[in-house]
Amino acid sequence: MAKEIGADRLGDLYIDGGKVRKRREWRGLVDTMYDYSRWLKIMTILGKFVMKPRNVKAMFRYRWMANYLAVPMMVDRHTQGLRGEYLRMCHVEQDLIIDDVAKLLDNLFRGDRRIGNDTEFSKKVVLVDENEMTAVMMGFPMLKSLSRETPSTYVSVLLNQHAAEHYIDVAQEFGLAGDVCPMPEAEAGVSIDDDAPVLGACAIQCNTTCDGSLLGNGVISKRLELEDGIPVFQLAAPLRHREDDVQEYAAQEIRNAIAFIEKHTGAKWDWTAYFDCARRVNIATRCRQEWLDMNRTDYPQVFGSNLALYTETNYMAICGRIPAFEKADRELTRLAEKAYNARKRAAKEYRHRAIIWGVQSHFYMDFLVWLLNCWGIVPLTDMLSMVSTRVLAEEDTPENRETAIYDMAWLTENMIMRNRTHGGYKVLLDELWEFCEMFNADMVVLWEHMSCKALTGMHGMFEERAREKGIHLVWVTHDLFDPRIISRQGVRDQINNYMRTVMREEPLDPSLEILHDEESW
Amino acid sequence: MSKKAKKRVFSILWKILALLIGFFVVTFTVYIFNLDMKLTAAIEPWLLKHYDRIPRDTHL
Repeated sequence: MAKEIGADRLGDLYIDGGKVRKRREWRGLVDTMYDYSRWLKIMTILGKFVMKPRNVKAMFRYRWMANYLAVPMMVDRHTQGLRGEYLRMCHVEQDLIIDDVAKLLDNLFRGDRRIGNDTEFSKKVVLVDENEMTAVMMGFPMLKSLSRETPSTYVSVLLNQHAAEHYIDVAQEFGLAGDVCPMPEAEAGVSIDDDAPVLGACAIQCNTTCDGSLLGNGVISKRLELEDGIPVFQLAAPLRHREDDVQEYAAQEIRNAIAFIEKHTGAKWDWTAYFDCARRVNIATRCRQEWLDMNRTDYPQVFGSNLALYTETNYMAICGRIPAFEKADRELTRLAEKAYNARKRAAKEYRHRAIIWGVQSHFYMDFLVWLLNCWGIVPLTDMLSMVSTRVLAEEDTPENRETAIYDMAWLTENMIMRNRTHGGYKVLLDELWEFCEMFNADMVVLWEHMSCKALTGMHGMFEERAREKGIHLVWVTHDLFDPRIISRQGVRDQINNYMRTVMREEPLDPSLEILHDEESW
Repeated sequence: MSKKAKKRVFSILWKILALLIGFFVVTFTVYIFNLDMKLTAAIEPWLLKHYDRIPRDTHL
């Protein structure tokens, strides 16, 4: 019960084997009142959501909606131990994301044939993959770009670590391979289990990252096209995205996708709207670069899940289309600069500067906060936040309209995760060590997502290079969406073992070392 | 303003203040003791049973 950073034993808030925590954290009067006021705001967003009868109807129809009971707890997990500007940054992001997801759900259920069945609205909806850049929607402000997979699987697992298990089991019951990435497998499971909202004039799927993604897209598009009558475009972005000779093909895919959307919705591409979005993407890029520059110093500010979760949402799902995110970018930068100028730190001790590489365990996104609070390991940046920094053309000229097609293609090729897991060893392996040097990192925490062949194939090469460079490389194996394979404590144990046996260190907060949170949301 | 009117204004202000304090005490108690999450955690098993009973067109 302390105002000071790191004075509390945060593990004491857990109930052994419980789903939720004993109580919320006391952070001193000012920060507790701030956190309480944001909790009230979140309750207001949720209250407004359930005021609509169609949303209540959806709550009783879709199994994955039960996970949304855990929204306030997700925020508590990410704000654990945070004070001052770091707490405020987390709330600026999380509250905006919650509001955005609530609107997404509301729109999905409005058009859903089973729930709201607003057919006129549904004609303006273009379904997009969760794991896909929404760049091709930047010039369609009159249409709604909605992802069914974002709320049903992606956000659900952030809320509740067990959210995807039912759907993974359903997919495997129907013969789908058990060793592919559980994310697309769970998405396919939602479709097989008849648990996806049905709406939209058309859909765009992307050859996102892997064999699992292609597997999931095949199952989902078959149901969409043959049963629901919703045509699907397969946006096949090139894998070797750094090569010049694939760019014309990538650009043509964008032109084809735009033509497909125009054909099935009757909408016309709006260049003014596109360049407006491009301007906002550039602002987000500048802000992100400024945060990363700060993280290269002794006083990193926007890092850990504050950086990872927000970048994933803003870069890929928003893509400049929602003005509220521009405001959040500026507010985050203001808070970061304030804390940086005051030479503030988010934990009582920074022991190691780490780059987090690989694909994180989605069921344990707050692991980055745990790293900081338990061991004083500062997650300076992560693989999924090291995305494109190319400045997009933002002035509407005939030449820029052509450049814009290539910009959208570049963004689509460089979506989060895909820009590293595809494109060859240079983007996955070589650039990691460049980032280590750039950020003055002494440690790499390397997520080994056991179902991701693109990553596990390079295991030996990562070890070889880490030895050459004298960098502590800590492997953390997990199965992305499925905590039954490796639990959260299983994830933590891999760090605990390394820190105790190799580094010979004691934790900053020993109460966090072993937590019985297997049943927790 | 007459004495009666003043008394009435004060009485309304007191009531508003009492309501605000009551709102704060109740919501802050819910917040700090995590009662909202404890309640929703109790609801979840019931909801999951409900989903199991819904007829579905489950197929590839």
